[in-house]
Amino acid sequence: MRELAYVNAIREAIQQEMRRDETVFVVGQDVRGGVYPHTLDLIEEFGEERIVDTPISESAMHGTAFGSALQGYRPIVDFMFASTAMTVFTETAIMTGQQYFLHGSKRPVPLVMTGAWGIGKRTANDHAMPIHGYYSRAPGLRVVIPSTPYDAKGIFTAAIRDNNPVMIPWCTGIMMLKGDVPEESYELPLDKASVKRAGSDVTVLANSEQLQFALKVADKLSDEISMEVIDPISFSPIDMETILSSLEKTNRIVIVDEDWESGGFAATVSARIVEQAFDLLDAPIQRVCFPNMPIPGGYMEDYLRPNPEKIESAVRYVCA
Amino acid sequence: MTEITVTLTKEQRITLFRNLVRADKFGKMMYSRMMQGKLIGFYHPAEGAIAPGVAAGSFLTNDDILFPHHRGHGITHMLSKGIDIEPYIAEHAGKSTGCCEGRAAWHYAYPDNNVFGTTAYIGHNFVPCTGFGWAAKRNNRGQIVMNCFGDGAMGTGRSHEGLLLSSNWQLPIVHFCENNGFAIFAEVEEMHPTAHLSTIAEGLNIPTTIVEDGQDVFAVAEAVMPAIERARSGGGPTFIEAKCLRFKEHDIGNRDLRGWKPREQDEYDAMLKRDPVLVATERARAESLFTDGEIEKIHEDAEQEVARAVKFADDSPVESPTEAELMATLYAPRDGVSF
Ligand SMILES: Cc1ncc(C[n+]2csc(CCOP(=O)(O)OP(=O)(O)O)c2C)c(N)n1
Ligand SMILES: [Mg+2]
Repeated sequence: MRELAYVNAIREAIQQEMRRDETVFVVGQDVRGGVYPHTLDLIEEFGEERIVDTPISESAMHGTAFGSALQGYRPIVDFMFASTAMTVFTETAIMTGQQYFLHGSKRPVPLVMTGAWGIGKRTANDHAMPIHGYYSRAPGLRVVIPSTPYDAKGIFTAAIRDNNPVMIPWCTGIMMLKGDVPEESYELPLDKASVKRAGSDVTVLANSEQLQFALKVADKLSDEISMEVIDPISFSPIDMETILSSLEKTNRIVIVDEDWESGGFAATVSARIVEQAFDLLDAPIQRVCFPNMPIPGGYMEDYLRPNPEKIESAVRYVCA
Repeated sequence: MTEITVTLTKEQRITLFRNLVRADKFGKMMYSRMMQGKLIGFYHPAEGAIAPGVAAGSFLTNDDILFPHHRGHGITHMLSKGIDIEPYIAEHAGKSTGCCEGRAAWHYAYPDNNVFGTTAYIGHNFVPCTGFGWAAKRNNRGQIVMNCFGDGAMGTGRSHEGLLLSSNWQLPIVHFCENNGFAIFAEVEEMHPTAHLSTIAEGLNIPTTIVEDGQDVFAVAEAVMPAIERARSGGGPTFIEAKCLRFKEHDIGNRDLRGWKPREQDEYDAMLKRDPVLVATERARAESLFTDGEIEKIHEDAEQEVARAVKFADDSPVESPTEAELMATLYAPRDGVSF
């Protein structure tokens, strides 16, 4: 099959959806020029009416998407860096999330918000921060992160076609990761986790670059420990069914997430497991997350962030 | 920029007068129902400040998009645009027949009338309005956006961004600032360095109109109509600043201060002489718009309309859907939704 880099798989999804549906458009800063390659050269095919540049006005930029979505358009608002969406949190999370439900579930808000984050590039907190933890606390939004090129294309396609606001913060650590991607368009479910490697001794949840790390650890330990590696994909709502059915088999779980340790996906999943499946556990749940400090920009990232060594030691701990 | 001037037709004046009387009666009913404990949430009475909203709403088509100002919770603007008022009153009473199924209380939406629902965050009107304007321009069927807000919203960065994009892209938006001189207690003179808030829009190359007497519904309408016309014919945005009064406290139950001291009795006494219904009635009489009998009939009709809406709200049940039922409506389905 044909190989594509992750970021180009996103581009192909956007391009194919824009061809298929006139109402799809992209709005952001320097999307015409393509600061990130997922909008590169789309201007040539679709023109300025559908590849729309704004000033550094995140509120009105998001507003262009939010208001036009209520008029039946299907905008993709590109925040360049995921963290800049945080400068307009009431708009992107609260207003957008509550709009459909609070007003009687009548007029949907079909929009996609996206932006890049990534720890390990020495860019420091403002640019590096993961935002899925913040956004998954805003009811009414879907928050999804695809972690392979194949998933990136299928998830972006589904998100554009979905009738709800979908936040997709993608990770720069896997931006150039290559993988098989079909040329024709296809959708993947927005609310389902994906088992990336079957195993029987321990369940490991990991996304983005950490998924690659977890798969490496699984290879390394394959003679000793059989790891089941699951990509959660959906951070809101969380697919507990897939997680719990894996846990039924393994009775041990390690949750890897580069979000801060406190109050995020890993904390929520841990709480739900304790509430719903305490009896399944043969060992304490282990979380491998970022410590609760601003992400430093220098070389400290390497030992502060989750990494293969930390994943391995958590796996060994629960399997001991 | 070409000046467009209008003279209101008799028919248009009658529409304005009728909507003004309706808005006044609905506002007073809401105030008294709040005092009786029959309204839920907050109530920010529009009393004394209904002329701008009536002028902003009365000449919009159904296809035009309205973001009403929060004062009076937008009933003034929306009834002038032609919404079905009964589900509005029911919503404000938390009833299942409400326009948002009793979930919004005071952030109502009427998507079929192109009123998409508000939020409590001051200044956030500029957010959806930018997108409404973008869509209206691309729809290319003469649709316009009426973006209503108070003086307080002009303190937010959102107002700058919304004005900026509307000017850059020449969006068909009427930015409609209802400057009542207060944001809760804070006086506009103290919170802004310029005599007029419209100066801010001027700096972004947006044509502006100041209505010094925003108590006069006809004067406001004379400013609104050319702005609507400009937007509809592809001439881009306009910023209107209508200076008006606030007769009551910011919201029911609050103190009514100027800065941090109570407003003077003289101020209330003087204000009452500028009651928008009084002003309009005097003008209507002076210009022989109606006979006294016609005026009386307009009042009677409005009272009956209010009574019907109140009865509808009172007769409607309070809905108690289960958590699971509500959860099932959190996300929109893929199929079967219409825009
Ligand atoms: C972002 C935000 N900040 C503060 C408030 C609290 N608040 C509610 S109404 C109001 C004053 C609004 O004044 P203005 O916009 O002039 O409208 P008015 O009430 O005078 O009609 C304030 C400060 C809010 N709702 N939202
Ligand atoms: Mg005010």
